Amino acid sequence: MRFSDEMLMAYADGELDLVARAEIEAAMAKDPAVARAVERHRLLAGKIHTAYDGVLEETIPADLAALVADPEDARVVELASARAARRIAVGRWQLPAWTAIAASMLVGLFVGLLLFRGAPGPYEETDRGLLARGELAEGLATELASAPGRSNVRIGVSFRNRAGDFCRSFIYQRESPLAGLACHSGEDWKIRVLAETPASSGELRAAASMPMAVLQAVDVSIAGQALDAAAEEKAREAGWR
Amino acid sequence: MSTTKPADEIRAQLGELLPRLRRFARVITRNVADADDLVQVAVEKALTRAAQWRPGSRLDSWMFGIMKNAWVDEIRARRRRERVHAPEEAGATVGDASAAARDIALSVQAGIARLPEEQRLAVGLVLVEGLSYKDAAETLGVPIGTLTSRLARARATLQALLGDNGSPS
Repeated sequence: MRFSDEMLMAYADGELDLVARAEIEAAMAKDPAVARAVERHRLLAGKIHTAYDGVLEETIPADLAALVADPEDARVVELASARAARRIAVGRWQLPAWTAIAASMLVGLFVGLLLFRGAPGPYEETDRGLLARGELAEGLATELASAPGRSNVRIGVSFRNRAGDFCRSFIYQRESPLAGLACHSGEDWKIRVLAETPASSGELRAAASMPMAVLQAVDVSIAGQALDAAAEEKAREAGWR
Repeated sequence: MSTTKPADEIRAQLGELLPRLRRFARVITRNVADADDLVQVAVEKALTRAAQWRPGSRLDSWMFGIMKNAWVDEIRARRRRERVHAPEEAGATVGDASAAARDIALSVQAGIARLPEEQRLAVGLVLVEGLSYKDAAETLGVPIGTLTSRLARARATLQALLGDNGSPS
């Protein structure tokens, strides 16, 4: 055969210039083997092109759609729907590579990060990192995602991270609510992500929202599934160890 | 929260591109969860670096490049930890196709899943997403000859796997 298979492939893909095209067409007319080779390339290209058509018809997961929605909306992803989306596509990428990315996302998109050095309140900055204190620490240890109690701490999800520690996403209700992810470490709850939640208003008042930064942090650190109600209660009884 | 102007400009376009980004991600990651994670990361990156995008140039190629880099980084990180996941069993959505067409689509997806990373990227860009060889080579940062030979090798493998009528040989 005068033409390499690569040439015939390029012809089938419409990548050749006029002169080369004419040469190949002449060869195809003379030699059925050349024509068949081109036809095979076309057939395969067609099959590959349509093999993934189904993806185009799928519903876009809510958390992806939220990313490109109006930025204000993107911060107000309702937890339940985000969680439902997660059940379909639980992020299973490994932690190290994604921590950096997650960090850059936080820097890029969540200017509302609140890491005041030495600020008094529900957390304290220590040598070991940012640790939950006071009502927040108490709520992290005692509240259940499945049965919200009376404190100002609402738990989003509880799960084990890849290191095997229990972690919980939370919203701390106060004048300007805080949301975050904390993991049990020694006797403390170490805060991994802390973000300001959009101030809820109007009819949304009751439903404080988990910021994307926190949802994403959950994704990159979760090992397996979130705890169900029974497992969560058991973990609480065991002191989150 | 301050959003940069360029991010606003590409946000709406990204929304329209999402189905294609998800499709390309499915080709290169071979599973649904990884694919959507990849799209998520790529969109976040695109929005924070929106100023680097040249208005008027192809947003799809730019996004595919971001996705390719993020995926290559992820693969390297996984290899370091020796935790490369096997591709999921082909069970992807194949749409409202007839049963025969669905069989072909699943065979093709399974075949593509077995290709080496770099060949899968070439197939995804040129044959699935319809980029020209030139645009695909630029997106991948390789000479056009390299792109062409990856594509040819991928096709030879797939041809052997699928046979002439598209069913597994």
